[in-house]
This record gives sequence, structure tokens and C-alpha cells, in this order.
Amino acid sequence: MAAPLKADYAFDTEDLESSAKIVKFAVLKKHQEQDAAQERELASFEETMLPHMDAAHNLAKWLLRNEEDARDVVQEAYLRAFKSFGGFHGSNGRAWLLTIVRNTSYTLLKKNRAVDLTTTFDEEIHASGHESVSPATLLERSEDADLVREAMDKLPVDFREILVLRHLEGLSYKEIADIAQIPPGTVMSRLARARGKLKECLATRVGKENR
Amino acid sequence: MNCEEAKKLMDGYLDGELDPIANQKIEEHLRECRNCDQAYKAHGSLMRAIGDGAPYYKARAGLRERIQSSLREEIAERPTQSVSRDIPSLLQSKQSERRAVLFGTQWNWLALAAAIIFAAIITFNLMPRLQRPGSDQFLATQLIASHARSLMANHLTDVASSDQHTVKPWLDAKLDFAPPVVDLSSEGFPLIGGRLDYLDNRAVAALVYERRKHFINLFVWPAASDAAKAPKTITRQGYQLLHWADSDFNYWAVSDVNPNDLQTFKRQFEVRTPHH
Repeated sequence: MAAPLKADYAFDTEDLESSAKIVKFAVLKKHQEQDAAQERELASFEETMLPHMDAAHNLAKWLLRNEEDARDVVQEAYLRAFKSFGGFHGSNGRAWLLTIVRNTSYTLLKKNRAVDLTTTFDEEIHASGHESVSPATLLERSEDADLVREAMDKLPVDFREILVLRHLEGLSYKEIADIAQIPPGTVMSRLARARGKLKECLATRVGKENR
Repeated sequence: MNCEEAKKLMDGYLDGELDPIANQKIEEHLRECRNCDQAYKAHGSLMRAIGDGAPYYKARAGLRERIQSSLREEIAERPTQSVSRDIPSLLQSKQSERRAVLFGTQWNWLALAAAIIFAAIITFNLMPRLQRPGSDQFLATQLIASHARSLMANHLTDVASSDQHTVKPWLDAKLDFAPPVVDLSSEGFPLIGGRLDYLDNRAVAALVYERRKHFINLFVWPAASDAAKAPKTITRQGYQLLHWADSDFNYWAVSDVNPNDLQTFKRQFEVRTPHH
């Protein structure tokens, strides 16, 4: 009984060693195939997503108000997007990428600068009167890029976000709802409030300058 | 539509996100309401101001390259990660499969060994208890029948003689073997004669002895080499059957005498047979 058992075991051990080589070879071959597949996937990803790099950077910069953070977030967002690119079957690559940029930005904001998520409205704005500033004055002053930028930077992050998506990216309410992860019905009202706040902010600045 | 409603829908109207009916209603109101029309124009100015005034932060030079290189790093890391991860895991799974096979093989060997041992147990332990008694019982039935027949059909002997030297040559001539024949008259078992019988699929010698008006049929035939040598007693239908064997012959003594007499007969026969 013992003899055939031992012989059988020995045969199996030999077989195990050779099978290890076969497995290694199979793994390497599998990896070559995987590499080729990954190259194709990367090419497809870059073709779909790199055209939206400016949009990604623009949103990140407006949300984070810092160039270095924006660059880091965009790079991280592209990595995240690539990792989950298999799950992207839509046609709106920009909206999909901007959603990831937005989420990545918020992660960083929560981590590093929780203050930014609360309102940054300064007391000055609320204290000053702006009723006297006419639309015509605002329109004239709007050509001053710094004025609008500074006013927008004073807004809470969710207002900045929705103004950028609407005015700079020209996205539809539906797309904005998807990216900002809010109900479509609240996009218009949030936009109205954001614009109202911005108008107050601009009027204050114009009023101050006019004084 | 009143001014309050128009104010609520103003942003949607300017953004072109209202449905056609709401669009039409707000346009009608704006034509009629000067205040709302002015507010509309002011809001439109503000929106253009945002669009014109808010900078669009295009990506600076180098970001694309940074992204592309980080994506390639990610891809480059994947195979090394998966090589170090896949080979051991694949080998492990292969080995565990092998181990499973080995274990299975060992288990099968063990099962086979167990089956053989079990079969051996049945063969060597259960068979003698079940089959041999079975064959003995069958033989015993034949022996008793033969004994009973010899008594009632007046065919107790083919050769009636108390002289063993008459009985033995007669049997030797009729059989292919030479059974031992001894007269045990001095021991209380006088020889009556001899007879041919047929038992166990062969011709056998039947020696007839008497014990106090009872007859003893002693059936003798050559022993198989592997025959059990151990004496055996069977009591059936009021008959005593006593079996023994020596190096040459099987002996079955059948009688209605008491078991002690039959044992005595066996002992005396063994003492007197030339083999001993």
C-alpha cells in the first residue's frame, strides 16, 4: 500500500514544479495581453477625456481658489476617472469628468480647508448699501475682470460651483444637477440665489469705489 | 402671471430652461409689466457680466503632460502589482488544487485499503461463520439423510463383515481412495460392515459400527489440503454428528447415540487408525 502511494506523491511533486513554470509563463503571457488591452484603454480614455482638461482645471481652480491644489485635484481626478473608465458608458465625457473633479475638490476642501465650505460672506457686504447702483453701472464695470472674479471668489463654494457650471461651461440644468448632485428642481433656485448674492457683492464693490 | 411668479421664473427664462408654456406666459408678463421688464434686463446684464467678467482658468502648460505621465505610471504599476500578486496567488491556487488532488489521492488509497481490509474481515471472519456452517449444514443434512436411509431401507451395508480385512479391500476396490477401516469391538463399537455412499458430490466410504443396538455411520473421504482440522459437533433432528479430519481424510460420524459415546468412538478410532 505504501509503495504506490509514495510513487504517486513523487510524480505529483514533479508535476507541481513543471506546472509552476507553466503558470509563470501563462501569467506573463496574460500580462502581455493585459498590457496591450491597457494601452488601448488608455488611448481611448485620453481621447475621450483630455479635451476636457481645461474645463476640469477651471472648475477645480474656482472651487479651490488655488492653482497648486487645482493641478493636484485635476491630476487625481484623471487618475480616478481612468480607474473607473470601464464604468463610463455615457456620451457626456465632460459632465462625467467634472463630477469627479467636483467630488475630488470637495474631498480636498473638507480635508484641508473646512472653512471654505461655510459661507465666506464678509460683513462688509451685508453692512453696505447697494440699492443705488444701477444696472448700467454694473454692466460698465463688468468689463473689469477682477471685479467679477473677486466678487465670485467671495461666494460660498456651492454658489461658485453653480455659477461656473452655468456661465463658464454653459451646462444645462440637468447636467448641473448631475454634477452638483442636487435635484434638478433646485438648480434654478440655487442659480437665482447665487446670482443675487453676486449682484449684492458687485454692487457693494462698485458702490465703494464710487464713494 | 403676476410679478412674484415672474421673478421666480426669471432665471429659468434667461437660461432658456423653461417649458414653452411658461416661456410664453413670462414673455406676456414682461410685455405688460415695466418693472419686471427692467428687472429682467438688469438680470440679463448681470448674467452677461458674469460670463464676460469671470475668468476661465485654462489649464496651464505642463498639466497635460503631468496627467499623461501619471496615467502611464498607473498602468506601469498595474502589471508589477499583478505579477507579484498573481503569480503567488495563481501558484497558491494551483498548489492548493494539487494538495486537494494529493489529499484526494491519499484518501482514495486509504479508502481502497479500508475496502480491502473490510473485504478481508468479511472473508476471514464472517465467511466461516456464515458460509461454512451453511455448507456444513448442507453436508449435515446429506449425512443425516444418508444415515437414516441406511437404517430403514435395509441397506445398512454393502459388505457385511466385522472383519476389517474383508471390508477394507472391498471398499478399496470400489473407491479411488483407501479409507482406514478398524474394528473397535474391544472398545464397545463392533464393526458391522461397509457401504458405498455418495456425499458432497463424490463417492465416499461409509463404515457402520454398532453401539448398544444403535448404529454409527462413519463417512470417510479424502480431505482437502486446506480442510479445517478442528473437530466439530452438530446436533440435528436428534442425531449427533461429529466431524474431524486427519492429514488424509475427512471423518463424519453420524448416529443417534449420546454425544459422549460418539466422542469415545472418535477417540478409539483415532487411536486405532494406522495414521496415528
